[in-house]
Parts: sequence; structure tokens; C-alpha cells
Amino acid sequence: MLECQHLTKTFQGVTLLDNVNWQWPATGRFATSAVGGERPGVQVVALLGASGAGKTSLLRLIAGLDHASAGCVRWDGQDLSKVPPERRGFALMFQDFALFPHLNVQDNVAFGLREQGQSRAAARATASQALARMGLGDFTQRAVTALSGGEQQRVALARALVTQPRLFLLDEPFSSLDTDLRTQLRSGFLNDLQANWDGTASGISRVLLVTHDEAEAREMASHAWRLSAGALVSLW
Amino acid sequence: MRRSRWHGLWLGLTPALFIAGMAVLPMLRLMWFGASEPSPLGTESGGFLSGWLAIWSDSYLRERIVWSLTQAGVSTVLAVLLGVPVAWVMARLEFWGRQWLMQTLMLPFVVPTLVAAMGVLAWWGPRGLVGQFFEWDDRGSAWLLIAGNLFFNLCLIVRAAVAGFESQSAARLAVARTLGATPWRAFWRVELPHATPAILSAMSLVFLYCLGGFGLALLLGGQAYATAEVVIYTLVAHELELVLASQLALWMLLFTGVAVALYAWLQMRVRAPLRGDRVRRYRPNVKSLTTWLMLVGVWMVCLCIGLAPLVAIFTKAALASSVAWSEALSGETAAAIWNTTRFSATALVLATVLGVSHAIVGRRYWWWRMWGMLPLMISPVMVAFGLILLVPQWLDSWLILVCAYALLAMPLVVQPVAQALDSLPRAWGDAALSLGASPWRVWWRVTMPLIAPAIRRGVAFAMATMVGEFAMTLFLSRPEWTTLTTLIYQHLGRAGRLNIDSAWVLSAILLSVTLVLFWLLDGRRWHAVGTPEFDDRSPHA
Repeated sequence: MLECQHLTKTFQGVTLLDNVNWQWPATGRFATSAVGGERPGVQVVALLGASGAGKTSLLRLIAGLDHASAGCVRWDGQDLSKVPPERRGFALMFQDFALFPHLNVQDNVAFGLREQGQSRAAARATASQALARMGLGDFTQRAVTALSGGEQQRVALARALVTQPRLFLLDEPFSSLDTDLRTQLRSGFLNDLQANWDGTASGISRVLLVTHDEAEAREMASHAWRLSAGALVSLW
Repeated sequence: MRRSRWHGLWLGLTPALFIAGMAVLPMLRLMWFGASEPSPLGTESGGFLSGWLAIWSDSYLRERIVWSLTQAGVSTVLAVLLGVPVAWVMARLEFWGRQWLMQTLMLPFVVPTLVAAMGVLAWWGPRGLVGQFFEWDDRGSAWLLIAGNLFFNLCLIVRAAVAGFESQSAARLAVARTLGATPWRAFWRVELPHATPAILSAMSLVFLYCLGGFGLALLLGGQAYATAEVVIYTLVAHELELVLASQLALWMLLFTGVAVALYAWLQMRVRAPLRGDRVRRYRPNVKSLTTWLMLVGVWMVCLCIGLAPLVAIFTKAALASSVAWSEALSGETAAAIWNTTRFSATALVLATVLGVSHAIVGRRYWWWRMWGMLPLMISPVMVAFGLILLVPQWLDSWLILVCAYALLAMPLVVQPVAQALDSLPRAWGDAALSLGASPWRVWWRVTMPLIAPAIRRGVAFAMATMVGEFAMTLFLSRPEWTTLTTLIYQHLGRAGRLNIDSAWVLSAILLSVTLVLFWLLDGRRWHAVGTPEFDDRSPHA
């Protein structure tokens, strides 16, 4: 499981993370939330903090997109310092979902599968099945720019899910949306993750949610920490 | 309200009519002349356009057209092969000297064409500092011409590609990496496709400039590798074959038109620069051999292609004999400097007034603004030839030369001023109006101070273009109107080492004058790639 050991990050003289020691909660509690009740197969942990507190920096360190000034990130005891992001098996989702505008919906979803060595045809077939499961079967050939916010989110989720990541890293994925759509998408997101669950303990979708919105964290996450002055404080 | 609209119309009408009279009418005259006259080649039965089609029956002219397209194509491909990797390193790595290299790559934007050609000769030429070790043919070389094209156009590709890479969303790149893409795969599957519209657009512009380039082709290609533009000049100036020249020019107009249309189409697909979420440049790992190879490669490309030719000019001038220096600083040179100064200064005033007026009106009507950019897309050789056909009786007045200069320089003023006007928030003007300022006072107290840097920038580029103008001057000037560029060309045409050395000295003087004037006008704002500045420059005259 995920673990941070003595993690320190300084950027341009500012200490963003100061000797952070943290471990993914061992208890297997599922997400219980106000956005639709308990969802077996999904475990959400929230990371709260004010703007500039270093939440995204921590997320990037876990994803392997940045290097720590000191300390390391571990998974099941293995030091990931030398493991590049493409081999960590962690999927990232951003606020704007970061869909590739030069690829259509199907090829966006097939992107990660192609990187895993699948042929174009096989990757596209798997992508189409994943899209169909999410109710986007008719959207395969559409440009991603022609999708609504909710549709874009489901495409981004399908793109991450088909690669079967060990961990989802969500960087404020709902913060740019209006209140109604936000609630609807949170619920849809958890439902989609749950629908993807294969029923095994190892198949549980583990989500690390970075947000500055405590209400959102309370609705979605079973555990939460606050990042403040470079240190993590347990909230619940 | 109606009155202000009429004011706007009059403000825009003058520059629009100027472009129509100086660029469009000469082009139409050239097209009509070429299409309606029978071919001197005598291979066709006659009729409208028959002479135009007959060009392909002449093996020499056919070869020249094919060669023009080939050298433009090869130069474009080489510029991309060298420019895209350089641009990627510039966009992603933060290394020592990066900013300086960026500025060096901007030099060709202000270097006169003839001086650039002299620089390529001084560095790569048969008697150049490096070229003497190759066995170049003295009569010209295909590779010298391509080296010249690269000197001028590499910066266009690098600039466009850096902007393309910098507009890449950091989030998308991060997602690609976490989905399993290695840096190399992420480059091919995410970064390059994102930058491709910008690169393709720059490619079409490079192709256009290489195809329509005159000065470089004349000096570096020689008669052995003469492009169609050089052949047109030879047919007009030396063989008085106006009909054949116009029919050849028609074909070149057609190819240029296709390249312009392609450029305009691609330009619409270039993505707007990002304001946030940019990929942050990182300090390279000094222990990595790959990093070192990349950095050395970038330095080599920028220095050998962009800077070395200019340094070689100063070296050649320094090595020239004192007799060559005194010859170069004779009364003939003083007259040439005087001509250059008076033609450029008069044209600068004209271009600035017309350009600013056009930009103001172009703020309301986009098609009006496009009209103002038209001279950038037409080869100066074609314009000059069109003027010879259209108004032969006016060619004994230097005003026609000044107007031709102003035509070339005007878009260079229009572009930055129009961009500056676009970027002004409407709320500032509204706030000034609500505080009691009249529209004229708003213009004078709010708009004008804010767009002044853009005007200065446009004037600086326009000045650099006119001081170094060569193609139109060669076509339209009379012996008593010799400018610095044509004087250099005259020295090159005269026999003897002394004349060659004098040409080096004059080139060094012209280069120094251009750089100093540009620095004085725009030096502090001479930013490199990635800052809002203009996309085009004058064609290689």
C-alpha cells in the first residue's frame, strides 16, 4: 500500500513538504457519503489544504512526475524513487480532465492500452467496450471537444480504468464545475468506479482525492488529512 | 455615431487603396500581360493562356521551376529536422545561455537579405572561413543556397515549435506519463501532435519565403542554381524578355498562392497560447550523456547556422586591406548611405502612418486587417515587375521606390499594433469615457500610451527591412539611386580582390547600422520566443 517516508520537497527556497510520514489507511472502509450512500469496492482518502499548501506537489511526487528533495514514496514496501511515472500504475485525473484534443473519444480511452503494448485494433475494441459500459457507446468517434463536462469526465475515467491502475489520483476534479453538476458527477464517478469492481479485495478502487473543499471531502472520503505548513494532520 | 463610422472608413480607406494600387493592381497587370500575350517560345498555336502553358515546353525554364520548388522543399524539411529538436530543448529545459540563444535566433529577423547571403559566403562559401575546406564550385552551389535559406528560416520553425510545445497542457502530459507513456512516447503521441499545427503553419511560411526569395538565390545559387525569381530578373533586366518573364511569373504566383492559402488555412488551426497549466522547464541532469548531447547539438545548430555567418562577415571585414576600407568609405558609399537614409526615412513615415491607420480600422473588421497583411505574401520581385508593367512612365521618380518600400514595411507596423489593440481591455476605454474623457481624449490618453511600445516595435522591424531592401531596389532603382545593398552587389559584380573586400566591409557596415538602429528603437523589448510578438516578417527581398 501507499506510504510516504520522510518526504520533503522544497521549491525555489520554499518548503512545501517537511519530512512527511504518512501511510494509506489500513482499514478497508468503503466510501460512505452523502452523494449516494456506501459504495463497496471504492475507498476514497481525501487530502485537504489551502491553495499553495503543496497538495498538488504531493500528488505529483506520488505520481512520479516530480522528484522529492528528500525521502521517498513506497508501494507495498517498494521504494518508487527510481520508478518512472509510466511504470507506477497510478492514474491521474485533473480538473479539466486533460483529454487529448487531437484524439477522438475512442483513441483517448485506448491511449494507455496502446502504451501497454496492445495492438491498435485490440486497444480500440477494449476502449469501445469500456465506453459502452459507461453509456458512451455512441460517442466513440466524437471529438472530445464536442462533449459536455459530464461526458468528458466519464471518458477520462474510462481512460484511466481500462489501464487497471493500482491507485487513482484526483487533482480537484470537480472544482471547476457548478454546484448541481458537481454533486451529480461525484455520485456518477463513484458509481462508475463501483460498477467496475470485480468483487475481490485487490480490485478495490483506491482514490486519493486532492481538494480544498472540506464539504466535498466529507461527502466522498472515509479518511482525510489536511496539509498545512508542510505537515499532514489527520482529520477523520 | 454615423459620423465616427465615416471617419473610420476614411482612416482605413487610404492604406487600403495604397495596397490596392501598389500591390494588387501590379499583380493584376502582370497576370493579364502574361496570360494574354503569345509565347515567344513559339511552340503553341496561340490564344489566351497559351503562352503561360508553353513555359513547360522549354526545358531550361521547366528545370528552373522544378529547382525552385525543390530547393524550397528541401530547405523546409531540413529546417524542420533541425528546428523541432532545438525547439523542444528550448521549450522544456532550463539551461545556461538559453535566453541568449533565443535572442540569437531572432537575429535573422532584422538582418538584410544581402548581408545574410554575404554571411553565408563568408562562412560556408568557396573562400569562406569554413567553406574553403570544402571543394565548392565558385559558380554557386545548391547547398550554399540551402544554408542561406536555413539561416533565414530556421528561426521561424524554432519559434513556432517552441510556442507549440509551450502551449502544451502540463496536465495532459502528466496523464500520458501515468497512462504508461515513456518520455519518448509522450513526445511522439502527445507533444508533437499538439505542436503540429503550429509547425505545419511555419513550414508553409518557410516554403513560401524560400520559393519567393530573391537576394539569397541571386548571390548563393548563381546562374547554375538560379531559381525562377532570379530567371525572371535576368529576363527583365538583362534580356528584355518581358513576355516570357511575365509568363514564368504567373506560374510562380500560382505556386505562391497555393502556399499562402495553405498557410492561412493552417494558421486558423494553431491553438491559442495557454495562460496557465504550462509544462514547467526543468534543469537538465548534468550526469546524463543524452542531456549533454542534446545541449551541445542545440548550441552547434544555433551557432553554426544562426550566428557564425554574421561573425564571419565582421572577420572578413577585419581581414580586408586598408585599401579596401578606404575604397569602401569613398564618396560612392557616402552617396549610397544618403540614398538609403532618405528612401528609408521617407518610406518609414509613410509606412507608419498607413500601418497604424490600417490597424485601427482593422480592429473592427478582420477582413480589413487581412488586406493589410497582403504585401507580406507577395514576392517583392513580382511587385516590382508588376509596377514596371503598370506604370513605366513613373519609374524615373524615386517616389515609386519609396512607395514600394512602404508597401513592404506597412504590414510590419500593422501586425504588432493590431495585436496591441486587440489585447487592450475594452473596460479601460469605457472607464475613461465614464470619467468624462471624449473619444479623442481616450485615444490620446489611454490607447496611444498603451500601444506606443507596439508602434515602436513595428517601426523598428520596418526600418530594418527598408535599410536592407534589395530586390525591389535592384528592379526599380536608377544608377543615381544606388543604395548600400545595391552598392554591395555592384562591388561583387566587379573584378578583383579589392572589390570583394570592399563588399565585406560594406556588409559589415550595413549589418552594424541595422543592428544598432534596431537596438536603439526596440532593444530593450527584444524578447525571444514565447512573448507576444508578430508572426511574420517581410519576404526575403
